[in-house]
Amino acid sequence: MDRRSFIKRATAAAAAASVVTAKQKWVLASGAEESKQIGSIIDLTKCDGCEYEGTPLCVKACKTKNADRFPQPEKPIKDYWPRTHHEDWSDEQDLTNRLTPYNWTFVEQVEVEHNGEMRKVSVPRRCMHCDDATCQKLCPFGVIHKSEHGAVTIDEDFCMGGAKCRSACPWDIPQRQAGVGLYMNLAPDLAGGGVMYKCDMCTDLLEAGKKPACETACPRDAITFGPLNDMRQEARRLANEIGGYVYGDEENGGTHTFYVSEVPFEKINQAIMADKEALQDKRPGRPHMKPDVENLLDTAHGFTLAMIVAPVAGAAAAGITAYKTLKGEKEEQADE
Amino acid sequence: MSKSDKIIRQSKSNRFVHWASAISILMLIITGLGQLPLYGRYLLWQPFGTGWLTSYELTLWVHYIFASILIFTVFYHIVFHIIRKEYAILPKKGDMKASWQLIKAMILKKQEPPSEKYLPEQRLAYMLFAVAIAVLIVTGGIKVYQNLSGVNISNTMMVIVTLGHNLGTVLIIFAFIGHMAAFLFKENRKMLAGMFTGKVNKEYVKHRHSLWYKELKAQKNKKNKSVS
Repeated sequence: MDRRSFIKRATAAAAAASVVTAKQKWVLASGAEESKQIGSIIDLTKCDGCEYEGTPLCVKACKTKNADRFPQPEKPIKDYWPRTHHEDWSDEQDLTNRLTPYNWTFVEQVEVEHNGEMRKVSVPRRCMHCDDATCQKLCPFGVIHKSEHGAVTIDEDFCMGGAKCRSACPWDIPQRQAGVGLYMNLAPDLAGGGVMYKCDMCTDLLEAGKKPACETACPRDAITFGPLNDMRQEARRLANEIGGYVYGDEENGGTHTFYVSEVPFEKINQAIMADKEALQDKRPGRPHMKPDVENLLDTAHGFTLAMIVAPVAGAAAAGITAYKTLKGEKEEQADE
Repeated sequence: MSKSDKIIRQSKSNRFVHWASAISILMLIITGLGQLPLYGRYLLWQPFGTGWLTSYELTLWVHYIFASILIFTVFYHIVFHIIRKEYAILPKKGDMKASWQLIKAMILKKQEPPSEKYLPEQRLAYMLFAVAIAVLIVTGGIKVYQNLSGVNISNTMMVIVTLGHNLGTVLIIFAFIGHMAAFLFKENRKMLAGMFTGKVNKEYVKHRHSLWYKELKAQKNKKNKSVS
């Protein structure tokens, strides 16, 4: 165990011990029951991006399934005062080559050199459904939830569209549509930015005991949902078998999505970045695939320790100071 | 003005608590607002040296640091005064009515009712700060706990805690504005020196905090008697 993980674990243990209520049900995670957690494998050795279809079938199925949840903004859409811009994808609802409020999964197609040959790699992208989802933990209004299956979901009715979740997400996954949502009923000229949208792992289907739409639609069985631990083990086994790699197991502290690839993810990431650079593509919705992405909350763990020590230190300092001052006053009285 | 013309109103310990709380609360408000998407949107011109405020990560670290300082100070304050049995700042029955009478007297430039060490509205303001700080520490503590890796609190708890923390923030901002607004009254400004040097003018105490002055005199007489 290195120093960093020791501090991390010690802090977590101390914090857990200090919260007496941790054993009570209301503090327990709604999605903490291990047996109910669902994960998925996206096997890049199988995915061909549905090259004979106009649109990959997983993308098509996702769009069809969620069509009635897509935003219908009131127009004209106002700018984010005092800024002179707003995010509006409503005129590009048919876009399927990136994440938008109208497209919650897409297939990234890149050419990568591996073992001396050029390979076409198709990478279905969507929310990774992190174990410690920074978007969920840092949402300033607490409207990003975790389902009992561990899916990270945004409450579209109460989202203010500040897009902090996108900034906090290492992959910038949630996408914003202006002109819709709660802020339109509050002070649309002054505050709020719309609603954030992203994959919710087809929570309703999972609750009904069914498979998510992307899995059902995939003609090559490249997408598989199942019990989280089984999926993790299977992804590792598959990667071992082909001498390949897993993405999503360690990234951002662990996720519920495991990509399996023969090609190193570093190379896939470089190809995505190079393509974006070549196209001068600076719009959101085409996430990187940088390996070993760290969870930004990990850095805060050191400071948590200070917070745990603070009350004890404060009380101790008070005890010493009060004793000294009382003693001083008594001596003063005696001197008089 | 000679030394005997001054009376000690705030001990070193009180001044430490006041300023440590003031600085940490101010920094917690600034960095807490930084956890909302505010600075990036509304600061069209970024003042020099404030670029870090637009980083959710940096503002979170700084928030944690000042939260630790505030928690230290709060526990210090509570334990210190319990040991010394000093409760002059706690609200008393009738403080609401007395505060209104005092404010009315200040506005109408009339004779104020006699006061103790702390004015009734100071005791109420203290309680407002205490409630806001308590709400913020409890909800903030749960938020910090759930930010640990591997911890996920329930969705309902998450909403309650997040909204509670936001509400506490609004409350403490109002309390801070109210605290500053108190100095709009000329009469209150004479207390300011107490928080910097610890001392205030004897004449001011005699005139405005006559009940406290009597108490101090009684203590002094008791001491003198016991010596003789």
